[in-house]
Amino acid sequence: MRSLYLNRDRHEPERLASRLQWGPASPAARAVDLTKSYGAGDAVVRALDGVNVEFERGRFTAVMGSSGSGKSSLVHCLAGLDVPTSGRTFVGDQEIGRLDDAELTELRRDRIGFVFQSFNLVPTLSAAENITLALDLAGVRVDRAWFDQLVEALGIADRLSHRPSEMSGGQQQRVACARALILRPELIFADEPTGNLDSNSSAELLAFLRDAVTEHGQSIVMVTHDPRAAAYADRVVFLADGRVVGELASPTEDLVLTQMMKLGS
Amino acid sequence: MWKITRRGLLARKLRLALTALAIVLGVTFVTGTLVLTDTLNRTFDTLIGTAYQHVNFQIRGTAAFNNDTAAAANGTADRRPIPATIAAAIRRLPGVAYVDGSVEGYAQFVSDGNAIGGAGSALGFSFDPNRQLSSVRLVDGSAPSAADDVVMDKGTATKYHFQIGDRVRVLSGGSPRSFTITGIVTFGSADNLAGATLAGFALPTAQALFNTRGDYDTIDVLAKPGADNVGLQRAIASILPPGIQVVSGQTVASELSSAVSNALSFLSTALLVFALISLFVGAFTIFNTFSITVGQRTRELALLRVVGASRRQLFRSVLGEAALVGLVASLIGLGLGVLAAVALKALLGAFGVTLPSAPLVFEARTVVIALAVGVGVTVISAIGPARRAVRIAPVAALVAPREESGESLRRRVTIGGFAAAGGIGALVAGLTAPAILLVGLGAVAVFISAGLLAPIVARPMSRALGWPLAALVGTPGRLGRENSMRSPRRTAQTAAALMVGIALVSAVAVLGASLSQSAKANLESAVTANDIITGPSSGFSTSVAAAVSRIPGVSTVTNVYKGQFELGGSLSSLDGVTPADLRRTVHLAITAGSGAPALAVGRLLIDTTTASAKHLSVGSVVPVTFAQTGTTTIRIGGIFKANPLIGSYVVAAGFFLSHFHNPLPIAVLISTLPGAGHVERAINNYLSVYPNVGVQSRAQFEQSQQATVSQELGLIYVLLALAIIVALIGIVNTLMLSVFERTHELGLLRAVGMKRRQVRTMIRSEAVIIALFGAVIGVIIGTALGVALAASLKPQGITEVSIPSASLVGFVVLAALLGLAAASWPARRAAKLDVLAAIAVQ
Repeated sequence: MRSLYLNRDRHEPERLASRLQWGPASPAARAVDLTKSYGAGDAVVRALDGVNVEFERGRFTAVMGSSGSGKSSLVHCLAGLDVPTSGRTFVGDQEIGRLDDAELTELRRDRIGFVFQSFNLVPTLSAAENITLALDLAGVRVDRAWFDQLVEALGIADRLSHRPSEMSGGQQQRVACARALILRPELIFADEPTGNLDSNSSAELLAFLRDAVTEHGQSIVMVTHDPRAAAYADRVVFLADGRVVGELASPTEDLVLTQMMKLGS
Repeated sequence: MWKITRRGLLARKLRLALTALAIVLGVTFVTGTLVLTDTLNRTFDTLIGTAYQHVNFQIRGTAAFNNDTAAAANGTADRRPIPATIAAAIRRLPGVAYVDGSVEGYAQFVSDGNAIGGAGSALGFSFDPNRQLSSVRLVDGSAPSAADDVVMDKGTATKYHFQIGDRVRVLSGGSPRSFTITGIVTFGSADNLAGATLAGFALPTAQALFNTRGDYDTIDVLAKPGADNVGLQRAIASILPPGIQVVSGQTVASELSSAVSNALSFLSTALLVFALISLFVGAFTIFNTFSITVGQRTRELALLRVVGASRRQLFRSVLGEAALVGLVASLIGLGLGVLAAVALKALLGAFGVTLPSAPLVFEARTVVIALAVGVGVTVISAIGPARRAVRIAPVAALVAPREESGESLRRRVTIGGFAAAGGIGALVAGLTAPAILLVGLGAVAVFISAGLLAPIVARPMSRALGWPLAALVGTPGRLGRENSMRSPRRTAQTAAALMVGIALVSAVAVLGASLSQSAKANLESAVTANDIITGPSSGFSTSVAAAVSRIPGVSTVTNVYKGQFELGGSLSSLDGVTPADLRRTVHLAITAGSGAPALAVGRLLIDTTTASAKHLSVGSVVPVTFAQTGTTTIRIGGIFKANPLIGSYVVAAGFFLSHFHNPLPIAVLISTLPGAGHVERAINNYLSVYPNVGVQSRAQFEQSQQATVSQELGLIYVLLALAIIVALIGIVNTLMLSVFERTHELGLLRAVGMKRRQVRTMIRSEAVIIALFGAVIGVIIGTALGVALAASLKPQGITEVSIPSASLVGFVVLAALLGLAAASWPARRAAKLDVLAAIAVQ
């Protein structure tokens, strides 16, 4: 896979500048005293128990934790897919607790990109149609240059007319990445994006996400339980029992493993 | 295994409820029809039984025609009158307690210048003050005695506010006359005779009104208590002249009962045909639902196979599920059917058909038929899906389910092709024979083959039909189109139900348009009269023609008579016209022999259809039988091209009058002098005293004939609407199943920014495409069917085949709108989907 920014387009500096106006003071997303409970009475489960966390702009953050630690709930609340029990969540300066369904839908459509573990693509649409789906839904013209650049970088240019069922898992996830990036969203949420991939495909995908952050300043929050995947991030946030229990800057696979061992003991 | 079946049912109760609804509606229709007709039958039996409970014997003219229940029901119409002297002779016989000679005829009350009651339901009769033999009971006032006395049924008196002492005008065969109401009567416990009004007169008055002076229509005899009934009947028979017979009261009652039940069985057969049509459409829906659910449960069924369920157990499990759904649906339908019958009976009451309050008749046979039909249709429809279920390999439990792909179409094409060929063959054979059952079976086979073959064209047709949608509503429309194309079999099977409904509607439309067009074309060349007077089908006063002939500008006025006679052993309808007036009133296109001159010398004219069917030609001498004058022979004097105004057999009015006792004209044809202009207004003025008749110009008459056709069409459309509704339930059901199935996908679409409105648009687009697909194929098949039917009815007078393009396009548009409506619930459901739950289900 070629680097995304070998052929950087000439508008890139302006776009970066416009992003920088937000300044480092405004994180891409944050949660304030966030709690999320499921069920009622004795059976109540606190998936999130007072989480305070910020995700910086232009950085690649991994959220780690064992299953049931609340990492998925955190991302779902931040992305406006789920409603918090209490606390506040922000995407940029926008408090998303105040948005109704239509506004949330627009927020997801225009400002957030998603890459899920599986079932990322609409089976009736071709790869190209899947990539431009959100733009088509919004009735926005596709930036052809950006599109070509993306599919070139992801190595899916020759797969554009294929349906998802005609592509490998790795190819499908790369199409999903392209769909998330075509919007140039403020933030991409990736929920175990390599969960169903073999190690080669995983490495390619993660390298691509890494490049998007490094060379383009894309903000990415990735949920994972794989230390090798987390090692691609700039920062790792550890969750356990619905709380933030630790952080690691500039992680390596060994550091992450050590930290996990420490937390686990 | 049974436990698994039951649990499975409960887990899918919503989708099964929708499936069941299709059966519920069909069974409701079946049950309602049976209960209603059984109840009406019982009610009329009771009514007739009451009427003849005291009559030991009835003396009447011998029925002229064999095997004719209609004549039996008509009572006096086709029997010769009985001389009054016979009554006197019977009265002298020992063992006779009472003899009641009576006459009956047409007598219609007038209120505020309007004739009361519909045509043919105004009964006049002689009311004997000492009458012990009739069920007509005087409940208020006194019996008629003077020449201008009348008793009126309580129903009419109540509804039109008549009171004893009021004057009322009465229309009959003669000039309208006024009478004084002396009493109010009921029929048994009912206020009228099943909707017919009752006018009772003193015997001489009645005889004068019905032109039967000195004669009786029937004589009822009451035997003395303890008399030897067998001996008495023999004694009565011995003094009767030939052509007059004596029968027991029970015989008369059972003849009437069987006439009524014949008429009702025609009604119930007609209604049951429509009930079966909606069940047939329901079968498509059930087949489709079970196909989809079996597909969705592939993993579950494979798992059952893995843990040791045999193929047979799996087969039984699916069929058991169908049987249970069918049973529950049939029971609900049974209950609703009874309610429907109650409602319909109440509706009859609202239309003035007051029946004695009788309990609903709920025969065991009704339960058996309803359950057999409901469960049968469900189980048979589920056999195909059940066979597919047992073919699932156990390994399917372990591998990811695949989207339905292009399975082997060869088998489908082969079976579909054979079904189509067989169906078309049966249709052609049935239409040429003609055999209605064969036509029905052929149509069923054609529909099944269309259902089998439709998946082949589903993908390209959905693409084409969805193109405007995709272009108009953008991405959601395009996604809807893609969804309709992803499983051609599902789309085709869902559309197939609607296809059947639309095909039938289209066939009826083509048939109706052809009928209407033919009627118009035929009438245009059939009538030369400028104006036509029509009234009750039983005929109206002979003095109408006399009154009209006095109007200035009117040149010719002639009565048209119609009556039954037997020719070559079959009962037919005979028309009587005046030869001298023929040319100026009716256009008979003579193909052989002559017209008016032949009539004038007592010859019979027949139309070309009859001539070829019965192998008759000019000069043939045929035996004919009349009810009142017996058998004679007549020579055929001419053959004419079939004419819609005049029946197949025509004689001169003089000949007609000599063979029919006191006939009433059914139409008066009028021609006007050139330059007289429109005389309808003047005629109407003259006719104001005859509110039971009306005048129409030739153009109006043609229009009203066409209006009759469209009224009948309207009724058929209403009955076919149920089949369309069942088809729509099928669309709702399939869409719901698809929405369940595509939970992930919908979640994904919502996650990446599809708005609720866009989700709804997507589902609606899919529904519209499915509906359009079904409607387009339905219109094509229906048009072909309609053209074939119309063409085969050419001998019956459908000379023009007309395709009502505007109506057919209208059906397609309507189907699209109905598809839109059917999508509203699934679309709402899909839009409300919890995004998180949808994507979390992995």
